[in-house]
Amino acid sequence: MKDVMGLIYTGENDARLRELTVTRAIAAMPVAGRYRVIDFLVSSMVNGGMKNIGVITQKNYHSLMDHLGSGKEWDLHGKHNGLHILPPFLTRENVGLYPGLLDALRSNNNFLIRSKQETLVLSNSNIIYNARLDELVQYYRDTNADITLLYTKDPSMKRDEYGTYLAIDKSGNVTDMEVLPTHPGYDNIFMEVLVIKRELLRDLVDKAVSHGLHSMDKDIILRLVQDKSAKINAYEYKGKCWQIDSVQSYFKFNMDILDPEMRKGLFRDELPVFTKVRDEMPACYGDNATVINSLVADGCQIDGIVENSVLFRGVKIAPEAHVKNCIIMQDGQVHEGAYIENCILDKQAVIKRNARLIGPDAYPIVIGKDVVI
Amino acid sequence: MLRKKTCVAMLLAGGQGSRLGILTKKVAKPAVPYGGKYRIIDFPLSNCTNSGIDTVGVLTQYQPLELNAYIGSGAPWDLDISNGGVFVLPPYQKGKSGEWYRGTANAIYQNIAFIEQYNPDYVLILSGDHIYKMDYNAMLNYHIRHGADATIAVREVPWEEASRFGIMNTDSDDKIVEFEEKPKNPKSNKASMGVYIFTWSKLRHYLEEDEADKKSSNDFGKNIIPNMLNDKQVIVAYSFNGYWKDVGTIESLWEANMDLLEKPMPIDMHDKRWRIFAKNPGMAPHYIAKGATVKDSLITEGCEVYGNVNHSVLFAGVIIEEGAKVESSVIMPGSVIKRGAVVRRAIVAENAVVGPGAFVGEETGNIAVIGTGITLPAGVSIPAGQQVDEEYTF
Repeated sequence: MKDVMGLIYTGENDARLRELTVTRAIAAMPVAGRYRVIDFLVSSMVNGGMKNIGVITQKNYHSLMDHLGSGKEWDLHGKHNGLHILPPFLTRENVGLYPGLLDALRSNNNFLIRSKQETLVLSNSNIIYNARLDELVQYYRDTNADITLLYTKDPSMKRDEYGTYLAIDKSGNVTDMEVLPTHPGYDNIFMEVLVIKRELLRDLVDKAVSHGLHSMDKDIILRLVQDKSAKINAYEYKGKCWQIDSVQSYFKFNMDILDPEMRKGLFRDELPVFTKVRDEMPACYGDNATVINSLVADGCQIDGIVENSVLFRGVKIAPEAHVKNCIIMQDGQVHEGAYIENCILDKQAVIKRNARLIGPDAYPIVIGKDVVI
Repeated sequence: MLRKKTCVAMLLAGGQGSRLGILTKKVAKPAVPYGGKYRIIDFPLSNCTNSGIDTVGVLTQYQPLELNAYIGSGAPWDLDISNGGVFVLPPYQKGKSGEWYRGTANAIYQNIAFIEQYNPDYVLILSGDHIYKMDYNAMLNYHIRHGADATIAVREVPWEEASRFGIMNTDSDDKIVEFEEKPKNPKSNKASMGVYIFTWSKLRHYLEEDEADKKSSNDFGKNIIPNMLNDKQVIVAYSFNGYWKDVGTIESLWEANMDLLEKPMPIDMHDKRWRIFAKNPGMAPHYIAKGATVKDSLITEGCEVYGNVNHSVLFAGVIIEEGAKVESSVIMPGSVIKRGAVVRRAIVAENAVVGPGAFVGEETGNIAVIGTGITLPAGVSIPAGQQVDEEYTF
């Protein structure tokens, strides 16, 4: 897999994630107790043998840069390759935000020219998956495709007015595509991950952008499928995946991961997920701690009651505090006698003594970073 | 040409640690797991990094494979730098001769060339036997301020135990006037911690002199320090009052783990300014299931708890199945306690399996130990103080 590079686009910053993405991109969203969304993508690429990985950043990329650093945690601090963070810069064509993925790729043409690998895996950053990308690339090579798309049949990924859906024939070739349909007609959901030759990508992007086009799915892949001018096939991802694009879907992912079977589907022994290490000591449980169905990270100190919750690193739950169906990010604190239910606490949020905070089941309350209640 | 270093640390990690029984059958003592996510060697290495000492030689000769793999490039301790870093130093052939490290002083003597590369003013000598957090830089400043030739870190031990230690008798200026190894009638309760700082030019001289003496046992405590005292060299005692625990025996290793469950913790492991760094196994946060109970315990990444855990320390990736009971025990990485098994006052080493319904240890008595990779059959009973390795017959 020496001849494959990875490229991750972190453009999204969805308003439906409310306060959670005010200061960060979706790719930098903290998930599952100790990770960021991007950890799953970068780890998949590294486990698939990729040693040259670019991360195209756009808005609010500070927390992403802080998290990825030199790429050391992913063994991406090599001399020739490694991790490349690609922030936007002003050019004649680009005077602000990228209107779409194609514009972002066009702006980073130089990175693509400088890279040496022949084949490229391009991934979006709002779907969490842990895939054998080496198998995907092998399939791409074995079938002599021009582009291979990664897709899933997971019904929870199918939603009205969202996503791209594929019609696939018996030999695995893509025969039709729906982009953002009101009601999806096909059951194969494109995961916004694809394999393509680096030079072909540059060529396609150049042509599309010079014709004023912006969307990879609609303006490049769909057109190629319709003109039958390229061989586009699809490879099924059979593991678990989650779209992160709203507070509800973010909440659901974290709650799903409490299920041991779901967890096994994402954290596989042969595909370790790497992240920035904080060197916290193991979690400390006090004499009166009661913990039920919860995921707890290192550095936590638990003396109260925790139910169906995800606690990130360094969270403190005081005696007689009660936390139910909550996600508490790094260094959050819940003080004596407080009761919180259906809440998402962003980093360093503090719930003071005897406070009560109960969100509705379907719409968790979001407490912003550093907020004290 | 390597740039000059003020102080280079040499960590003596060659001992077998035979008093740890089957726990050190296949690994050197400094690689023994401790405290849920650490190895003993993480403490001196993290102390070095936190003290601003970035060049560390680790002297190994007993079962070094796991220790070498653990240290790797030194990245977890920020010791993967181009001028300095961490180096594993096994004994090697020199010209026609070649030999094992014969003693602590001989081990340093054989690595004079390594130290000279950095042309240091001072050398810090450490061992991989203790759990403690110590600012070596403060000790170095003390050494310099006192114009000493050697500084020995000392700790006040209870008088009744003083005869088990190397005892320093000091004058009113903390100058050491006499050193007694395990004295019957101790005159002081200041015990040597085995942490020394030497002015390198002096140490080098005494190492060479010691090597020439065929009768010497080439040991710091027995030869180098007494020889320097005889020559009226300035040796001062540096008092350390923090937590310091020898983990040289099964019982003391177990106790040191249990110390982390004390409230307040006698060694502050939450201090952000003095982190103890360790190699990270890269596992998901741990999971506590419905129906599990966890009290008064330390649990780390990758663990899955379905049973009961009380007053215990679980390392990465440990699985406690439904109905299993773990009390006052230390369960090392990757081990599984099966359904209905009971583990009390025990150390279960890495990747062991305690079969369904098995009993390990007792409520009182010595600590039971299950060796690395051992699978206990269902329903067996292991009494207090028993060590179970491949040779044990059920």
